[in-house]
Amino acid sequence: MGVFISLLKKELRTCFYSPIAYVVMFFFWALTGGNFIWLLSQLAHGESLTIATQLMFSGPLLTFAIPVIVPLITMRLFAEERKLGTLEALLTTSVKVPELVLAKFFGAWIFYIVLWLPAIVYVFFQHQLAPEDTLGFPDGGAMAAGALGALLVGALYIAVGLFMSTLTSNQIVAAISGFAVLFGSFLGTMYMAYTAQESAVRILGNYYSSFAHMMDFARGIVDSRIVVMYVTHTAWFLFAAVRIVESKRV
Amino acid sequence: MIKVSGVTKKYPARLAVDNISFEVGRGEIVGFLGPNGAGKTTTMRMLTGYLPMNSGRIEVAGFDISKDPQEVRRRIGYLPESCPLYPEMRVDEYLKFRASLKGVKTSARRSKVNEAKELCGLTEVGKRIIGQLSKGYRQRVGLADSLVHDPDLLVLDEPTVGLDPFQIRQVRELITHLAERHTVLLSTHILQEVEAICERILIINEGKIVASDTEENLHRQLQACSIIEMEVQAEKEAAVARISALEGLDVRNAGELADGWLWLEIEADSASMRVELFNLAVAEGWSLRELSEQQHSLEDTFVELTRKKGTH
Repeated sequence: MGVFISLLKKELRTCFYSPIAYVVMFFFWALTGGNFIWLLSQLAHGESLTIATQLMFSGPLLTFAIPVIVPLITMRLFAEERKLGTLEALLTTSVKVPELVLAKFFGAWIFYIVLWLPAIVYVFFQHQLAPEDTLGFPDGGAMAAGALGALLVGALYIAVGLFMSTLTSNQIVAAISGFAVLFGSFLGTMYMAYTAQESAVRILGNYYSSFAHMMDFARGIVDSRIVVMYVTHTAWFLFAAVRIVESKRV
Repeated sequence: MIKVSGVTKKYPARLAVDNISFEVGRGEIVGFLGPNGAGKTTTMRMLTGYLPMNSGRIEVAGFDISKDPQEVRRRIGYLPESCPLYPEMRVDEYLKFRASLKGVKTSARRSKVNEAKELCGLTEVGKRIIGQLSKGYRQRVGLADSLVHDPDLLVLDEPTVGLDPFQIRQVRELITHLAERHTVLLSTHILQEVEAICERILIINEGKIVASDTEENLHRQLQACSIIEMEVQAEKEAAVARISALEGLDVRNAGELADGWLWLEIEADSASMRVELFNLAVAEGWSLRELSEQQHSLEDTFVELTRKKGTH
């Protein structure tokens, strides 16, 4: 456990030392701000407050941004260790590979959670702005569900990005391949879920489209099948990453 | 301390280490010498449990690397080839981090880090960022890292590569100093390094151990035949033919010097055969200005041993 904590601390430190972290934060926070302005304009045009609130966690600006920024967070994780040769230094101490993979995963996930903090602040503002007697507001359950959705989607995307990073010693390759897989599957499953003609394809799309899931979560719908899908798929990619790190040494 | 028996490592395209066996006793400083690509790094990586071997057995301090990798790792301080460090961390931060990974208890961490820093002359630079340190200092940080958990055995892969002569001398002094408390196995392709530091030399070439002995013994092995250098004024073909005709002498190399003299490198059964060469020159009426025995340096030993690869 002590080793895991040391690794996690180191991950967080490295993450916040890197300029990439601040570039990502800048863009994501700008988008969160843009999302809030858009949400206010929806309200100004007479949209009901309950609907608008949901947009804080599933606004298209943010849902589209996730598959773009996650590869930027994860590209460094293993590619950099390989490039510097520090992977060899790590794996010749008492560190076990699963420990290392989990520390890197949680490090990136914590940074991802930090990215969402302003959204929570905006939710607080909405709460302050709304008149006391607005029907169904604030809907704490829907908020929590929306946040859960953002966390689950982030976890799976980070696991995929981390897996891509174990395959190469080049961060650019890790970022681009991560982006290709994440953004490609994001658009592909969205297309399947919303516009495909075949009903079987639509059903499959609905199981996998994180865009659709985030909309559902933000409405307060927590489908246990979807939660299980995210948890198991995240675990599977982390397991695959462990296997790659264990076998690909040179 | 180390017992390697029959270890083989195959990479997809080539055989990197071919059935090697050697032992290193407690307290020894052993130099692992070989040309680039000979299998030094691969051997060290197997020794530290980073790479699995295809066959064979490695024991460190009585623990089998395949069965108790954790026990082995705890006892080894390893400095990988390129001295990998995190450039964004501070020296203290890095050493504390590494100490925690190596299972140094929180209460002992500070004192262990300070001890390692003091040994490696890093006390002054604890607050500096590693990426801004000179190569020599970074190498010392790597060394401090390798000994921060007080291991029995230090495995150092080319510890002086890329340093300037002054830094090389400092690192060598440091290693000699460390050897008082630890067993040291260090690899290098620089011959002066093993001459300067090591008690015993292992020479590896194309994945095979070609020699394992003290420096003096290695020299003695080669002294059985000696090389004589000779400069005469004579016609090349005739001189080569006359010298080779003598028993126990063989011309290995011959060439015209710029000033018209003939230079010969002669393999002789013993150095005393210079007398015969002198007599020959007198009999033939050659002018003679040089007749000397070449001193074997470790370099010759090394070249000789790594050239004889076919015979092993």
